[in-house]
Amino acid sequence: MPREIITLQVGQCGNQIGMEFWKQLCLEHGISKEGILEDFATQGGDRKDVFFYQADDQHYIPRALLMDLEPRVINGIQNSEYRNLYNHENIFVSDHGGGAGNNWASGYHQGQKVEEDIMDMVDREADGSDSLEGFVLCHSIAGGTGSGMGSYLLETLNDRYSKKLVQTYSVFPNQMETSDVVVQPYNSLLTLKRLTLNADCVVVLDNTALNRIAVERLHLSNPTFAQTNSLVSTVMSASTTTLRYPGYMNNDLVGLLASLIPTPRCHFLMTGYTPLTVERQANVIRKTTVLDVMRRLLQTKNIMVSSYARTKEASQGKYISILNIIQGEVDPTQVHESLQRIRERKLVNFIEWGPASIQVALSRKSPYVQTAHRVSGLMLASHTSIRHLFSKCLSQYEKLRKKQAFLDNYRKFPMFEDNDLSEFDESREIIESLVDEYKACESPDYIKWGMEDPDGAMSAEGNATGTLDPKLAL
Amino acid sequence: MESTASSPATPRWNVQRPFLTGHFYQESKSTVSQITDSFSKRGSQNPIGSYPTSVQELLLIDNLLSALVGIEGRYISTKRIRGKEGHVTFHIDASTDFTLQELAKRLFPLCENFVVISHFVESRSHFKNGVVNHAFAAALRALLVDYQAMVAQLEHQFRLGRLSIQGLWFFCQPMMGSMHALSAVIEKALIDNCSGSAVLNLLHNQAKAMAGDNAVRSLLEKMTQCASAAYLRILERWVYEGIIDDPYGEFFISENKLLQKESLTQDYDAKYWQQRYSLKNGIPSFLLSTSETILITGKYLNVMRECGHSVQVPVSENSKLMSFGSNHHYLERIKAAYDFASGELLNLIKSKYDLMSKLRTLKRYLLLDQGDFLVHFMDIARDELIKRPDEISVEKLQSLLDIALRTTAAASDPCHEELTCCVERSSLFNRLSTLKDLESGVKNLGFHTSEVKIVTDSGNQTEPVNITGLETFSLSYKVHWPVSLVISRKALTKYQLIFRFLFHCKHVNRQLCGAWQVHQGARAHNTSGTAISRSSLLCRSMLKFINSLLHYLTFEVLEPNWHVMNDRLRSANSIDEVIQYHDFFLEKCLKECLLLLPELLKKVEKLKTISLQYAAAIQRLIPSIYIPETNTSNDTSGLGTSKRRRSRQRFVALKEAAENKTVIDSVMKFEKEFNTELRSLGPLLSKNSHAEPYLTHLAQCILGVRSEQ
Repeated sequence: MPREIITLQVGQCGNQIGMEFWKQLCLEHGISKEGILEDFATQGGDRKDVFFYQADDQHYIPRALLMDLEPRVINGIQNSEYRNLYNHENIFVSDHGGGAGNNWASGYHQGQKVEEDIMDMVDREADGSDSLEGFVLCHSIAGGTGSGMGSYLLETLNDRYSKKLVQTYSVFPNQMETSDVVVQPYNSLLTLKRLTLNADCVVVLDNTALNRIAVERLHLSNPTFAQTNSLVSTVMSASTTTLRYPGYMNNDLVGLLASLIPTPRCHFLMTGYTPLTVERQANVIRKTTVLDVMRRLLQTKNIMVSSYARTKEASQGKYISILNIIQGEVDPTQVHESLQRIRERKLVNFIEWGPASIQVALSRKSPYVQTAHRVSGLMLASHTSIRHLFSKCLSQYEKLRKKQAFLDNYRKFPMFEDNDLSEFDESREIIESLVDEYKACESPDYIKWGMEDPDGAMSAEGNATGTLDPKLAL
Repeated sequence: MESTASSPATPRWNVQRPFLTGHFYQESKSTVSQITDSFSKRGSQNPIGSYPTSVQELLLIDNLLSALVGIEGRYISTKRIRGKEGHVTFHIDASTDFTLQELAKRLFPLCENFVVISHFVESRSHFKNGVVNHAFAAALRALLVDYQAMVAQLEHQFRLGRLSIQGLWFFCQPMMGSMHALSAVIEKALIDNCSGSAVLNLLHNQAKAMAGDNAVRSLLEKMTQCASAAYLRILERWVYEGIIDDPYGEFFISENKLLQKESLTQDYDAKYWQQRYSLKNGIPSFLLSTSETILITGKYLNVMRECGHSVQVPVSENSKLMSFGSNHHYLERIKAAYDFASGELLNLIKSKYDLMSKLRTLKRYLLLDQGDFLVHFMDIARDELIKRPDEISVEKLQSLLDIALRTTAAASDPCHEELTCCVERSSLFNRLSTLKDLESGVKNLGFHTSEVKIVTDSGNQTEPVNITGLETFSLSYKVHWPVSLVISRKALTKYQLIFRFLFHCKHVNRQLCGAWQVHQGARAHNTSGTAISRSSLLCRSMLKFINSLLHYLTFEVLEPNWHVMNDRLRSANSIDEVIQYHDFFLEKCLKECLLLLPELLKKVEKLKTISLQYAAAIQRLIPSIYIPETNTSNDTSGLGTSKRRRSRQRFVALKEAAENKTVIDSVMKFEKEFNTELRSLGPLLSKNSHAEPYLTHLAQCILGVRSEQ
């Protein structure tokens, strides 16, 4: 059972999207709600073992850990039809069940306290796999548990499993609506630091964009959580198809990510999916050729990260890398033609400092899920405009921080004791440097970036760990 | 009498008693004629001229009736012609009445023809002359019986005193033409000592030539039909059963028993399919147009028989090959048999022996259509593969491969059991140059002598010393008869060449992914401006290159070509078409995978080598600097402090790294080398892309968008 991936679902949002993800995987692999392989699914040629393992009684059990500090969502799962799917030993609910109160520091601190329990679970799962490839973390960055405990988990995993990959599916809060979580900017910023430093790859799922897609593309006037979550699960399952339905290339997570991520920190990916449908929705049947799918994937309206950039800045945004995973019955000769057309029409604005082109992975579609369209596509892309999302987070943080609002909730916890807010400052600088790096990527001479600017290179690290010898610069 | 080994000997009396067989004309004419001469000398005291004309006529008719069946009489003598086998001339006593003499002489050709024919009948009935001659002789014998019956009737009339010499002439006249035509054919057959199809051809042509004379033509056609009956039986067995039942070697298809079907799976240049059965010279002219079809039909039936299926073309009365008549029914029947045989065989190979799933398996494993098993295999076999080829234990690799196959998606595919490992001794490049016909392919591609010289040079060149299993590992596939007709050793070798190329690309890709992961480990440090950021961009370029190459190879070469082949195979009507499409697919893939373009291949190999060297260097250099030993266990005074200490360690290490020029230098060196090579690839691709348009695709893949601008 090589190259397994363990999924960690943290917090309310994490468990909800995780649940949807497993539902989708079960459907695609023909595994029943109890975890038993359906009769029709015995000859698949698919790889269930990346995400599932088989118990002694042939049950398929997800390699998933469900964690939360409050019992509501997990209880919901345990009372659902899928209650027998999960390994009950892999479910962690904090004893007091009080949650993290939307406070990153509380979540982080509680995570620290239950580290032993959780890492026992992780170790057990890791031991149960032959050659663990990595972890996938599902969480939101706005609340308390997903962000705080998730952050703590990221650090711990990075420490203990430094050779393993850590990929996250991180839900970014909806910034169009006024959130009920007022400290959301604090939580986001602190989590973003961990996402930058401790994850190998972050798939950004922007609630703003998900909502927009639900409203505009799916014509749902008031999209529910379940509906936006099904968008997420679609993306998650599609982005793992090359692992589950092996093809010529991208058969391991590292291969998939390595081609997408240019430098260690620029590992935030945008996604796009087409054609989108929501469960139980009578879908409009569209013409789906490879070219159509690829072209639609490049349209901003299909991308699940909203662009906060002003028009002028947006036009400077450039793709660093694109991987299109095309599923379904594809005439392979179409791929080349489609790429050619896209190239000729210059539909994609690529970075200028290095080779770049659209990579395509053709993948089979699950034979057990009936869809009205022949071809569907997922785009995983690294795009410089993602910096605007971070800038937005930063500016919201600045607003709140200037007012010194709500900081008391954080000072209660050890990390911020004695009014030590350096963690905030450090996070801010790391995010700033990340924004800078993405910005630099837009210029043609990114390669020289930082080389001419030794001070800039120092600044972020300098505050955290003292000053550096200026000789470092080349 | 010489006879072929296969034909039984003729009884001795056949030779010893010439009068029983009419052999005397040839064998013992001299002695016989002496005897008869002496007889005639004694008996014919009176020359015929001494009788009155009416008596002369009676005597002459009596003599002529004998002469008509080849026996000389008192006044009509025979004379053997030297050098012309079976030929005699008849001579009449010169003292005969002139009118009678002339009348009698008119009949002599008939007599002579009779002698020729009967000679033919007797001599060609011998075993060694083959079935066609036998059949022809038998037909002629039947004809001669009729002829003799007529002569007997004439004699009866003569005894009744109702036959005058004019009457004799009158009665004989109708058959003169036929007998003459027959003897003409036979003369030719005798001169050329024809047998088998030559006889048939002769008859056939003669019949055609006599098209104006209806009686003669129909006679000759009848003869053709009779003579070919035996030949048709041979043909029938061949096209209906695939058996050569040809004791005298007359059939136009020969079998080379030395070529065994097993050679298909072993010998790169196996000729089994092409030369096991082949056309000989001397195809009957009326079969010339369909000879290939006939050959193939039997060949197909043979394949099925070799598979243990005694398939027979369903034979009804209607489908019997009755004649080669001008109505061309036989052509339709042969066509029907061909359709049946090729349909059956194709069906057999496609459904029972499941050719398509075999091909899919090859695609899955040798063309890496489902590459997940390879990922696992490379994980677990890494230690074995980095050894030198002669130190590698193939058994160990095989068991590792089995593990990899069992634990991945391949497990559900029953065909994976036929997969075996092999480790070759030579590098891909040298292997390519040893394959002669591929090399000639290289020449055909219009390359200049310099490139060809590279090929020959590398042939003599000794293997690079650092060659490892990674360069020489290959999968193999056990192919069984009759699928080996399609997937022959040669085809499999081509698959393997592609596999080795892909495998090595995958290896490079993995190493670069490893290097990428090393960079990822350093993300906790702000790396901008350090060797890390420079190096990660180089890593990205290299990954981009190898991924694009793999993308090109798989999605632009293998997959579309496979797609085309798959469609063609589905509509193929015969196994030969299948073989042809399959070979075409492989040839095209080999070419488009650059394996036939040594110049480009060298360049690509060079780029891969640089990437590998870089990946190895980075994986050695960066961890030693950026990632301190992480054996700090958890039980030391809490994670928080240990983490802080560690980050301090890292920081110190980072400082060292900054000062450590070697990293930067080597990164720069690799960067320069890589970019130089990559830049030089561009013009090379565009130079060759005129001749090989698919190279434009490759250029687009590897060099990206901006190369066009």
